Amino acid sequence: MIPKSCPRQSEVAAQVLRGQWPAGCVEDLRQHVNGCRACGELVLVMLAFQSARAQAVSGPAPVSAGVLWWRAQLRRRNAAVERIARPILGAQIFALVVTIAIAAILLVAQARNVPRWFSWLTQPGQSPGLHFEDLWSSALAMPVWGLMLLVFGLAAVAVLGGFVLFSDRPRQ
Amino acid sequence: MENVATGEAQRAAELPMDNDAFAGFYERSARPLRAYLARVSGDAALADDLMQESYVRFLCAARSWDGEVAGRRYLFRIATNLLKDHWRRARSPSIEEIPEELFATSPDAARIESQFLLGPALAAMRPRDRQLLWLAYAEGYSHREIADVTGLASASIRLLLFRARRKIARLLREPEAEGRQGRAR
Repeated sequence: MIPKSCPRQSEVAAQVLRGQWPAGCVEDLRQHVNGCRACGELVLVMLAFQSARAQAVSGPAPVSAGVLWWRAQLRRRNAAVERIARPILGAQIFALVVTIAIAAILLVAQARNVPRWFSWLTQPGQSPGLHFEDLWSSALAMPVWGLMLLVFGLAAVAVLGGFVLFSDRPRQ
Repeated sequence: MENVATGEAQRAAELPMDNDAFAGFYERSARPLRAYLARVSGDAALADDLMQESYVRFLCAARSWDGEVAGRRYLFRIATNLLKDHWRRARSPSIEEIPEELFATSPDAARIESQFLLGPALAAMRPRDRQLLWLAYAEGYSHREIADVTGLASASIRLLLFRARRKIARLLREPEAEGRQGRAR
């Protein structure tokens, strides 16, 4: 189907949209519409739709604007909170991974000392762990990196604890 | 830290329009939008739901206020997309492939609309044709604006609108014509 348009269609449409059809338009245009099939159809359809629209616009008022405003604000706020919380979750996961890694390194590094730590249980009388002076000197003799690992491990646990406490706080 | 997050959320929750501006815009555009949705969907309750959702999405969209005309067109586009989503959720293969009978309005809606000439005629049209006809002849949108709202190619609007107008004009002139054709089929 090839659309057969009339050059006067836009003129007719403008008259109907302005509410000037048929009384407000020139006789020449009225006669044209009577004889032109395309323009006749256009007027018929436009009048039907314009009348339906006018009736709908004068109908009962829809829901209050304030309710929609409030709903939009709530939805936008929730989306923003979600967006902001995403990096915090990433930091928590990172802190957990770092803590586990440090704990694993500490365990591996100190594994050979484990029998010595528990030796006082089997030989309580001879264990150096029972004498403070001996314990202190053995701690000083430890390699520096071991001590640093211990400090970093404790710090990571503290950071993780902080994040856990933060995330457990009830959201307002 | 949470206070900072809450503050940022508060700032992000600020809407692009203030409450009074929105109330005015809503007052001017809500009824035409509801009429569009009701006529195209043939379901007044669905039209109310989609209208409310359209406004909420309109406000949530991070978009600066470009004036009443552009805002209204954007609103109609959101509503049109919501209608499409609604039809898609009904597991329809495509709007164009669905038989027109399935889109006929419910008996109640048809009874209410039967007092008007346009209601039964629109009920016999495809949803896409209803959209095009309403946007062109009730809202007075140009072909380019209709393309913007519906997402259809601007070049095809003219032909689609011509066909839809021819069909509805026939239905408006002889309301029984389509019924006779339907029975004959």
